Amino acid sequence: MAAVAKLPSLMNSALAAARPKFNIFLQYAKVELAPPKLSEIPQIRAGIGKLLSSAKSGAWRNQTVKQATLNTFVGMEVIFWFYVGECIGKRHIVGYKV
Amino acid sequence: MSNLPYGPPVKISPLIKFGRWSFLTAGILYGAFHQNRLSKKETKLREIEAKEKVIRDEKLRKEKEIAAAGTIHYTNL
Repeated sequence: MAAVAKLPSLMNSALAAARPKFNIFLQYAKVELAPPKLSEIPQIRAGIGKLLSSAKSGAWRNQTVKQATLNTFVGMEVIFWFYVGECIGKRHIVGYKV
Repeated sequence: MSNLPYGPPVKISPLIKFGRWSFLTAGILYGAFHQNRLSKKETKLREIEAKEKVIRDEKLRKEKEIAAAGTIHYTNL
């Protein structure tokens, strides 16, 4: 019973402790997770062109293991956003609920 | 902005940002489309199942009757 009575105050202190950290997260997220701006389209096109040309010329093979690992992780992260979107679209976390 | 503990925010390459957001929207559309398609398919299946259940229940009832009659029959042999 005592544990149940403590729960609201525990929740409040957890929220109070989490709020400044969440604010810091928000400040970073506003910059780092912002959608691309229209003015950045030329840079995006250039980036895609670079990817394609390095795929064609085989330049992607001339990188260090560290670079390749980092690029793989970044690519994986970008692709995982698809699955986040799928979960939002199907409004369920595991499988399709029909 | 100056009170950030981990230094100034990293400049994310526009290509990565574009990739993230386009994959996210593609995922949302994909998920919604397939949710819609699969739920339509499933409602059709449910209708068929409901129809078949009536037939199956009738069949089971008849079989039970025959079985009940059969036990009497055998005891009379």
